[in-house]
Amino acid sequence: MRTLRFLVNKLNSWSVLSVIFIVLILSPNIDILIHMFTKPNENWLHIKTYLLKDYIINSAILVVMTGVFCTLAGTIMAWLISAYNFPLRNFFKWALILPLAIPPYIAAYTYNGILDYTGVVQTFLRNDLGIQVNPRYFDIMSIYGAVFIFTMVLFPYVYMITRAFLEKQSASLIENARLLGKNSFEIFIYVILPISRGAILGGATLVALEVLNDYGVAAYFGVQTFSTAIFKTWFALGDIDSALKLAALLMLSVFGIVLLEKILRGRKKYNLTSKVRPIIRKQLKGAQAFLAVFICFVFFSFGFIIPTLQLLQWSILTYEKILNIYFIQLMFNSVWVALVASVLIITISVVIANFSRIEDNWFAKLISKLTLVGYSIPGAVIAIGVILFITQMDHQLQWLYKMIDPNSITLVLGTSIVMLLFAYVIRFLAVGYQSVESGFDKVGKKFFEASRMLGKNVTQTFIQVDYPMLKPAIISGFALTFVDIMKELPLTLILRPYNFDTLATKTYEYANNEMVHEASIASLIIILVSLCAIYLLYKLGDKEKI
Amino acid sequence: MKKRSVAAILVSGLIVSAVLTGCTGSKTTANPQPSASSQNQVVNVFSERHYETDKQLFEVFTKETGIKVNVIEGKADELIERLATEGKDTQADLFITADVGRLHRAKEKGLLQSASSDMLVKNVPENLRDKDNQWYGLTVRARVLVYDKDKVNPAQLSTYEDLIEPKWKGKILVRSSSNIYNQSLLASFIAINGEEQAKAWAKGIVANMAREPKGSDRDQAKAVVAGEGDLAIMNTYYLGQMLNSADPEEVKVAQKLGVFFPNQNTANGTHINVSGAGVTKASKNKENAIKLVEFLTSVKAQNDYAKANFEYPVNKDVEPSDLIKSWGEFKPQNINLTLLGEYNKKAVEIFDQVGWK
Repeated sequence: MRTLRFLVNKLNSWSVLSVIFIVLILSPNIDILIHMFTKPNENWLHIKTYLLKDYIINSAILVVMTGVFCTLAGTIMAWLISAYNFPLRNFFKWALILPLAIPPYIAAYTYNGILDYTGVVQTFLRNDLGIQVNPRYFDIMSIYGAVFIFTMVLFPYVYMITRAFLEKQSASLIENARLLGKNSFEIFIYVILPISRGAILGGATLVALEVLNDYGVAAYFGVQTFSTAIFKTWFALGDIDSALKLAALLMLSVFGIVLLEKILRGRKKYNLTSKVRPIIRKQLKGAQAFLAVFICFVFFSFGFIIPTLQLLQWSILTYEKILNIYFIQLMFNSVWVALVASVLIITISVVIANFSRIEDNWFAKLISKLTLVGYSIPGAVIAIGVILFITQMDHQLQWLYKMIDPNSITLVLGTSIVMLLFAYVIRFLAVGYQSVESGFDKVGKKFFEASRMLGKNVTQTFIQVDYPMLKPAIISGFALTFVDIMKELPLTLILRPYNFDTLATKTYEYANNEMVHEASIASLIIILVSLCAIYLLYKLGDKEKI
Repeated sequence: MKKRSVAAILVSGLIVSAVLTGCTGSKTTANPQPSASSQNQVVNVFSERHYETDKQLFEVFTKETGIKVNVIEGKADELIERLATEGKDTQADLFITADVGRLHRAKEKGLLQSASSDMLVKNVPENLRDKDNQWYGLTVRARVLVYDKDKVNPAQLSTYEDLIEPKWKGKILVRSSSNIYNQSLLASFIAINGEEQAKAWAKGIVANMAREPKGSDRDQAKAVVAGEGDLAIMNTYYLGQMLNSADPEEVKVAQKLGVFFPNQNTANGTHINVSGAGVTKASKNKENAIKLVEFLTSVKAQNDYAKANFEYPVNKDVEPSDLIKSWGEFKPQNINLTLLGEYNKKAVEIFDQVGWK
């Protein structure tokens, strides 16, 4: 009776919606998860004997190395940008986010195209300088090449989150340390790293998850990882059970990473929000200024300029054959599915994050953790779960369809865009949610409680009190999900309705036929659109802060 | 002030997208109509062939017959899973893949049905179609040896089996075993020589590899010219694509390469594979689907396939393109292509056992 009353008390639109969302997100995965507990079969034995060790070692190398490099690069640049003035600082401030616009698989194709035998580097050495080089020196197709690709396009996750934190939270600490006579290096080690630990780890976690989930780069470079293994087991060995066992292992390691993040972050929350003001930046001169510009320039070049220029050159080679009016349609398709899905994701994130903040109990924590589920499962696995779920839904809704149109087909949702949008939400909820949750973390509960005390209900409080403070977090969450969806491939490929192409599927179409040059135009448009999104939202977010 | 603008953007975005979803949603649900209504004839295709040529051919087909072709492209394995999950409710009528192994898998899973017509029997030779008429080949691909004309004397080349001899140590370039064309190649050896010998062959190739398997077929060709190895195992049409590349450096590389068809003097010839099409079991527009396959195997469409993509036509009345003819005629492996599908799993296991990454 008491628990019932407790539950009734807790019943409001926020909690009800949160539970509904989570149930919807979990349901497609449950069919899949059930397979996990089946008995190991001969295929599993085969995998264990010949492959598992390599999968684990390779995935670990990729995640650890990429994680360390991204953390170093991202943090150093975040620190440079927020604590110093140097030439082009304002440009680099947002330019360093741009590598996010480049999908890792496109970066992999592009870099290999630059460095291989017919690429611009070796061609130049051979034809113009007459130097015959050992092609092995330029071979990027290895696990270390993959680490390079991932580092160059993923470091902005760490950079962005850490910079946003440092700009707002660290002014007094850094300035005090300076007054006390610490030099830049000491400040970095003893002040920056400890206080921004949470932000850095948040970014590094996103990086690790992206790397674990990647299929394109690993497959092209011939690196055997968990993702490639899941595909291989499922499709080549035709063994769903074993594939799902691998997926479960992957999921465990993802949760391990998230747990590690929580432990490393510690229980302590730095609630320094009372005085948000920008740091007074120190002017760098001479060699120091040059070094700062150099570091930023190197990462900006490798992460964005070089691949983009190469794609540009390829599109000049092929545009006559490839480019037509149809690309406007492709762009339109890409943009609006990304837009709709991002709006859905942010809305759901806000509802769940708000719920979990208000109800500070185990249930709310569980709900909040479950948003991560989709991010830990490979795209293809989600796709199959979603098809299964939507097909069942369609069967349940038969009576409705027949009522509206007696000649209705069975798979109404299953042949519509709903299926794809639903899958996007499952897959990328974690990205939007992380951002929104950190926003709520920063805002804390004080204002909320005051507002409730003054007689507003949860929804009124959200609109009038929380929302204005949350806006930067919402905007950055929106930008991140939008760009992620623009780049997304496996779900889009398999779940789209008939005759529905996007820029990403067009890129795949050519790249899959080994026509890398022809793929460049679609890739370039993906990058341009993502670039606009990043820039606009960056501008919007920037004004909000001050 | 600023709050409003952000809210306004978000809200208007939501509204616009909702409207758009509405439009497209209704459009897409309207497209795959049941076959009953005769004015709106359609055929819904799941395809793994991502070629411009295919799309142009579908358009021609629509013009000629009035039947609209709706397409979802994807990877064959995932399309098979989608077909299986949708079961009898699927809207797909025709399943097109780039490899016979996948057609076989779809057949094994009971996703295809027998479909035949006089024209299909005439267009597609017996060895290039399923014995139960569940699928038909559309194009033929040959997996051959490619060598640097300056460095390798083709007289040294003979068979696939010869590649495991010690003289080729550190000279063989080939892509990863996760690639379906490699899987089918090994499957054909299992079918012809038995499991033991096929395994010995794979092991020998691993021992003779110039580098760890990686990259695409085109990458293997480039590595030959770059001097990383002497021989590449690859499909012919990639060489055709390179010869017609927009990048002059690639053309230069391709011109240095020679094509060798192995096993011409043995009982079995060069390994071939087909891309093909099968009518789905749950097809609601079976007649239209058959019409489309008839059209794709007709002289007209086969000519386009041969020219645009440098594949070999299945229709005997159609000549391959001039480029392909310049490589010479060859004797193909004389086995039922169904076997490539049957031995696919075994092949994958062998690759893992011998450490072919």
